[in-house]
Formats: sequence, structure tokens, C-alpha cells
Amino acid sequence: MFLILIKLAWRNILRNKRRTIIASIAISIGLAALIFGDAFMIGMMENLIKTATDSFIGDAQIHQQEFRDTREVSMTIQELDEVGANLAKEANVQYFTRRTFAPGMIASSANRSAINLVGVQPSTEKLLSQIDDAIIGGGFFEKANEHDIVIGSKLAEILEVALGDKVVVTVVQAKSGDYFEDWFRVSGIYYFADAAMNSGMAFVRLKKAQQMLAIGPNVHEIAIKFTSTEYGQDKQVPFWKTYSQHGNEALSWTEILPQLPKVFAMSEYSKYIMGIVLFGVVIFGIINTLFMSLYERMFEFGVLRAVGTRSFGMARIVLFEAGALAVVSILLGAILGFVLTTIFANIGIDYTGNEMMGVTVQEFIYPVLTIEQFTVYPLAVFIFTIVAGLYPAWHVAKMSPVDAMRRSF
Amino acid sequence: MEQTQKTDVIVTEGVTKVYDADGIPVNALNGVDLTIQSGEFTAIVGPSGSGKTTFLNIISGLDAPTEGKVLLSGKVLSEMGGNELSDFRRDNIGFIFQAYNLIPVLTVEENVEYIMLLAGVPKAERHDRVVAMLETVGLKDVEDRLPTQLSGGQQQRVAIARAMVSEPAIILADEPTANLDSKTGAALLDMMSQLNAETGMTFIFSTHDPMVMESARRLITLCDGQIDTDEMK
Repeated sequence: MFLILIKLAWRNILRNKRRTIIASIAISIGLAALIFGDAFMIGMMENLIKTATDSFIGDAQIHQQEFRDTREVSMTIQELDEVGANLAKEANVQYFTRRTFAPGMIASSANRSAINLVGVQPSTEKLLSQIDDAIIGGGFFEKANEHDIVIGSKLAEILEVALGDKVVVTVVQAKSGDYFEDWFRVSGIYYFADAAMNSGMAFVRLKKAQQMLAIGPNVHEIAIKFTSTEYGQDKQVPFWKTYSQHGNEALSWTEILPQLPKVFAMSEYSKYIMGIVLFGVVIFGIINTLFMSLYERMFEFGVLRAVGTRSFGMARIVLFEAGALAVVSILLGAILGFVLTTIFANIGIDYTGNEMMGVTVQEFIYPVLTIEQFTVYPLAVFIFTIVAGLYPAWHVAKMSPVDAMRRSF
Repeated sequence: MEQTQKTDVIVTEGVTKVYDADGIPVNALNGVDLTIQSGEFTAIVGPSGSGKTTFLNIISGLDAPTEGKVLLSGKVLSEMGGNELSDFRRDNIGFIFQAYNLIPVLTVEENVEYIMLLAGVPKAERHDRVVAMLETVGLKDVEDRLPTQLSGGQQQRVAIARAMVSEPAIILADEPTANLDSKTGAALLDMMSQLNAETGMTFIFSTHDPMVMESARRLITLCDGQIDTDEMK
């Protein structure tokens, strides 16, 4: 029986090819839009995570507890040597680097600006962050000069300085609270689309920063890059407990940038809402198509009913047609979605410079194809189309044969 | 096939049908009492509006009477539910329509096979019966063709094969020769007459065709929803 129903459905949807093609295109565009939208969303999330973690934050950070809230210069990481030695032995830690942070003032002969002075270890900082990649003039601590300073292009513009120009940095020392100032020469200028990094940060060598802040060999932050980003999202792994001891706290990027995972979760919902709205519109097109086909063949349905097809059997004929329409549309939509996504996955979509969820996009967004897009979404479209077929099917099932065949006897 | 004993296959008792035509009641049938026995070859004739169509609809269970009772092979149609009635039609009534009304997307074989599919007849048996039936109606080599690839006469032969393949007790034929030329019509009528004689199936025709009236062995004339004459030949 199923074979004859499939034959009936397939041949019937081919009876009016133009109408089938138009309906299929409507459904397939909906599916392709879902596939592409999802691929773009995944690409955007990966891009934002990569931007957030690779540019500076890392996959995880260790600080003294409450340092992030107070930004007190004296709140350095406890038991630093032990922490460093343990991190060096962690199999899941790819790189880590030490940093100091201090609010300060930078001044040139022309202007001054408030900054966050960051002390870095150039050799490990290069492995973890992208500041060295963002250099547009000079270099990233290429010469062993303790008076080198690397600043953002916007800060250079504010200070009206260029490479080799002299600036003075003033900070407040730990414990004593005394002001301390030292001079630097601009040895590198970087550009980040992120305005805060471009205009509000200045990088000096770690030792110089420690000396200025009078914190000895201590640091405020250890930024960590794991072998996989997923490891940094897994709060069940023992890493977090191990390094949240001695008054320190180990935080993942999801805690450092809590807005990102929240917005990603919201994006998931918005994706489904978009799908429902999209197919809510398409569903009426499907109902219309099925009804048009049904009214053209009213007499045939009357004959099928008269010769003994039960109500459910009549409904099944319509549902099989809806299914056949769905299969054709899914094939078209999957091909369209695959081609469209593949093209943009190769050429990328330029969102650079746009800030999303507090993170400024640094690179092109490359949509990502997944198996789910070609399994779950087509299945959802199939179910949607069958649901759309329920009303015409019910209409046929309750149809009186004598009404349908009024022209007969 | 020799008929040994005649039974009442269709019995109507006081069948009345009143239609509502925009608020005006129209009496299509007025208390029709009729008995048709197995193996009859009967023609129901009458002018347009006499109630032929309504009568055929009611005795086939496609429509329900306003009053009265219809018994088919001893079963009261009005006492059956929707699915029971569908199954009853499938197993007991074969329909032949004026405009053939084959399913255009199904091949000749699939059209004839469809009713047996509904009845759950096994595949091998279905095939054998379709082949035999198509041979009987003289359409041995066209089983893979679509109805649109056949002449009117051939399509009506397929319709006859479809009506008879499940071996129902009753064949209801609505103007079966109306769309055919007289030669083809005569040939089909001969064929149905022969099948009636061979199988003992009851044939009931609604017709205006003098040729059908002449072939019929019983002629019932309807007029204004009532039986005017009932003549056995």
C-alpha cells in the first residue's frame, strides 16, 4: 500500500510542475536560510570567542581573588612560583604568560591620557595574544631595551607621538601609594578595532612594570591558552579547583566575558524563533498549494472514496503528497544552503570593526557547516510540511464522496 | 456460470430523499420500494431529474436517504459507520462511471489493482487477478500504460476491469456508454452482458441509451422520484 501511496504522491506533485517548483522553491529558500543563518551564527560565535580569547584574554586567567573587582596594585597572585611550576606541567595548558596591570597616566610633550599600563613577557605574550600581530609600526619588544613602550594607534594619535618619540608614564606604587614615573620611547604601534585596547592600553616589559609598581617578582595575572577552547568552557575539569587556592581564583573566558555565553544561548533561541516565523509564512504557501491541487482533483478523490478508500486512507494520500513536496524541497534547500554557505565559508563575511556583545570583530566571519544543519533542520522542515498537510488531509478525509462526485450519477 | 439460486441483493423500503435547494425542499425520491435479485441485468431509465442519480447514490451507500431503508446483501446501509460503509462498498460494489474516472497518474494495472490493495490482497494474487481481468476485457498488453494513452473504449474497459476485479456482488454503471461511439458501446455492452451471464454479478445501469435499454433484462422507469414502470423481459 505504501508503494502505491508513494507513486500516487510523487506522480501527483509532478502533474503541475510549475506549481510544485514554486512551492518547493519557497520551502527550500526557507531551509537554505535556516542552514545559512545557523552556519553564520556558529561562525560568528567562533569568531567572537577567538577574538575574545586569542586577542588578549586567553582561555583562562588566574588572579588573586577580588583583584578583578578592586584592581588594587598590591593584589598579586599568591604562591606564584608554585602556580607557575604546576602550570608548566599541565597537559592541557598550551601556553601561559604573566602580566601586571596598573592604572596610570601617559604624557607626551603635546598631550596626556589615562591608561592601563600592562607589563608583559614578550616571548610568551606573543604566543598567547595577538598584539604582536596587530603591530602596524615598529615592533613588539624586538630590542632588549627596558624603556620600550608599545601603544595603540589611537593613543599615539591622542598623544601626537610617532615611533621613537618619548613619553612619560606615571603610576602609583603598591603598599606605599607613592607616585612613580619613568620615561619610555614608543617602539611599537598596534591597531585593534577594539577602541578600549587601541586607546586605553600601553605595554611595557614585565620587569620594568614590576620595578615601577614595586611589587618585586609578583604579577597580577596569568593568562592561559589551553590545547582546546572547549576545555576552557568545561567547569567540571579539576583545573579550576586546583588553581583556585591560596587566595587565588582561576576563571574561564566564559566567566571573564559572561555576556558572551549568555548572548550565544539567546542566539540559539532567536534562531529557532526565526525558523518558526519563516516556516509560519511558508506553511500557508504549502496549505494553499495542497488545496489548489486538491480542488483540481476533487472528482478523483470522490472516486477513491467511492471505491472504498477509508477516511484515514484519503488523508494519507494528501499527507504523502505533502511528504513528497517536502522531500523535493529539502533536497533543493539542502543543496542551496550548502552551496551558499560553502561560498561564504571560503570568502568570509566582512564584519570587522563591528562590536558585538562587547567584543569587536577582528577578522572576517566564516560560516560553519555542521551535520545538524543537514539532519535536524531538514527533519524539522519535513515535520513542518506534514503538519501543513494536516488541514487539507482532514478536509479530504471528511469529504462526502457524493459531494465530490456531484457530476457523476 | 450457472445460477442456482436467486437472492435479494438490493431491497429498498420507502426510500425518500428530500434535498434542500436554497431553503426550498425538493423531493428527489418519493417512497421507492424495489427489490433487485442477484444476477439481474437491470436498467434504470427516466428523464433528467427523475431521481436516477439519487437512487444510485443511495443504493451504493454514497448518500443516505431522508426516510426509508436500504438493504444490500441483507445489510442495512444506514446502520453502518463511515469506515464500515467504505469497506462494504470496496467488497460488494463495483462502480463504472460515465467519464471512466480512472486515476490518471496510475497505470492500467495499478488502477485495477488499487481496490485489491485496499482489501489487503497479497501481491502475487493481485497480479494474477489483474492479468486475468485485463485479458477478460481484452486489454492484455496495455497494463503499463497510463489512462491518457488509451482510447475512450479502452478506458471504459479498464473501468469495467476495476469494478469487477474484486468480484463484488453488484456493479453500478452510470451511463457507461454515453461517451462512447455506438460500435464501441455495443461491444462493451455485449461484454458486460456476457460477464453477467458468466459470473452471476448483478448489473444495474442508469442510462438514456436505447441500446442499453434493449440489452437490459429488466427495465425500471423512474418519474418524479417514483417508480413508473417495472418491466421484466
